[in-house]
Amino acid sequence: MVTLAVDYFRDLETPRLARLAPNLVAAAFPLMKLMPARYILDRAASNGELKAGTHIVETTSGTFGMAVALLAAARGYRLTLVTASTLIDAKYKARLERIGATVIALDDPRGDGNQPGRLERLQDILAKEPDGFWTRQYDSPGNWLAYARLAELFIRAMGKVDCLVGCVGTGGSLCGTASFLRTVFPHLTVFAVDTHCSILFGQPVGKRMLRGLGNSVLPKNVRHELVDEIHWVGAYPAYLSAHRLLREHGIFMGPTSGAAALVAQWVAKTLPDAQVAVIMPDEGHRHAETVYNDDWLATLPGWPCKQPSEPRTLTTIAPAAETQWTRFLWLRRSLDDVLKSQAASAVPSAIGAVENL
Amino acid sequence: MAGAGDFMSRETLRSSIGTGAAIAHHGELIQGVFKDDGGRLHRGLVTLPVASLRSEATFARTDGDAVIVHPDHKVKASSAARLTLDFLKVTGGGVLTLQSSIPVGHGYGSSTADVVASIRAVAAALKVQLRPSSIGRLAVAAERASDAIAFDEHAVLFAQREGTVIENFRGSLPPLLLVGFKANGGVPVDTLQLPPARYDSAEIQEFGVLRALVARAVYLQDPNLLGRAASASALISQRHLPKQGFDEIAEIARRAGACGVQVAHSGSLFGLIFDLFASNLKRRAALVAQQIRRAGFKEVEVHLVNAEGWTW
Repeated sequence: MVTLAVDYFRDLETPRLARLAPNLVAAAFPLMKLMPARYILDRAASNGELKAGTHIVETTSGTFGMAVALLAAARGYRLTLVTASTLIDAKYKARLERIGATVIALDDPRGDGNQPGRLERLQDILAKEPDGFWTRQYDSPGNWLAYARLAELFIRAMGKVDCLVGCVGTGGSLCGTASFLRTVFPHLTVFAVDTHCSILFGQPVGKRMLRGLGNSVLPKNVRHELVDEIHWVGAYPAYLSAHRLLREHGIFMGPTSGAAALVAQWVAKTLPDAQVAVIMPDEGHRHAETVYNDDWLATLPGWPCKQPSEPRTLTTIAPAAETQWTRFLWLRRSLDDVLKSQAASAVPSAIGAVENL
Repeated sequence: MAGAGDFMSRETLRSSIGTGAAIAHHGELIQGVFKDDGGRLHRGLVTLPVASLRSEATFARTDGDAVIVHPDHKVKASSAARLTLDFLKVTGGGVLTLQSSIPVGHGYGSSTADVVASIRAVAAALKVQLRPSSIGRLAVAAERASDAIAFDEHAVLFAQREGTVIENFRGSLPPLLLVGFKANGGVPVDTLQLPPARYDSAEIQEFGVLRALVARAVYLQDPNLLGRAASASALISQRHLPKQGFDEIAEIARRAGACGVQVAHSGSLFGLIFDLFASNLKRRAALVAQQIRRAGFKEVEVHLVNAEGWTW
């Protein structure tokens, strides 16, 4: 949409669109989480929950915290982010603090992110300051509602969208974009991208090498019934795909974006008559010393490895090695339904979208 | 409202007669709440014009102060004529005569067509060409809520209670065939007696998606995308001003391969949208009309939109 009004954060949250294949359009975000952060803060400001000087709290160590920090700085809110020492590096913490956020990094003896401890600390703050505002990115409907704007951008650029590919962490971006696109394109096939040992789609919890993708707790904003296929991408294929985005398209993105692009390129190749949209949530700068650093890569066991050309289709959900890329036909079922059928080892007789077309 | 030039008042145009016309519409393709550039929300709509039905107005200036209107119950048209004279900084009055083929009370926009035709007739009598945006604002001033018929077939997202354009889609709607009919037994609706719909957050966000779809449909002249937007807006409208038989109509539309279902969001009209250039259209439209009649709906009519003389 042509707009003549000046709005820095609206522009910053707007992805650049890239054509990765004749039938594949990628939304490459500088900082995707600005979209839900801005929507949630705007709504809270307009219904009176947020006033100048209000104390905002959230448990995050990721880009949602960065997005809220920028908005809080510009709009005069105080911000406290509660995270775990294992989840945040000194540089990112310093960046957040320079913007004006208070960052509390709790001990994490078990190494699982200490989410219960983080929530307890957050509740302590809210108990002391009843006017405080918790953005609740895991559960707030504002998180998924915000992504109507992404659905608009895809429609303005592509018209009809047949397939949507995107990462799942809180579920906001993929489930939000998918549910708005489905209101006008009910046939839309949704491909969710997760990583091994994330619990979101029924895998057992474990150490994840890819940060910013998957989760160890289940947010309400993950709506399994929207998903046709789930792909679990390991760290190595995600890194290789990010390298390829840079080398073949000149697009500098983080590894979670690499994972999404890997799945999307496969979908676009497998379904040449479908118009495919993919969400790429983050830029590569935060990963310059790791994913884009040959010395760091050389320390990885088994690196370099060969990029899988296609996913391995699972009938029983199970974690795989970080070099692996697996896929499971979710078929718009609830998590309970899938887990029950897994327990009974009843393999669904239906076939996936890709096999159907 | 800004004046349109003081030089008019110095001209002696007392003897001139002007005529103006305005077309009807078939309700809206989409109607809801939309964000402007600054993020503020406005009620807005995209009108579906029907050029075969029209209102025609003649305005003859007189020396007296009064604006006399025929037929005399068309008070909004009379007030539009007065507002237009004031806008053009002209003293005196005139005789306004209206002749309209547009049925009243179903969502065809008979009232706005009268108002817009009257504004145009007054302007013509004064030998002034008004911009559509000025006509739109005058129309809203005359009747509180208006539609976008001042823009004719040009597609705009119009704030019907403010008289402003939220988004100009920079083109016309694609050529369409519309199979129109009346719901709820054809009982007329008094638009201004309806409370404005209260939309929830998810609906407000969805309206942005529908607006994007209309923008793309106008840009590529794609009736299918337009139909999808109309169907989704009609579905939201069902939650606020339900029309009897909606599900049955949606099913008929699906089986007939229509681009979409369209409604007058504050009227009784239903429409099935078809691509005017689709194959076998005449036979398909006849079949659909028959199915709609059999389902108990009345007054099934076929309208062409932006057909440019196409005979089918």
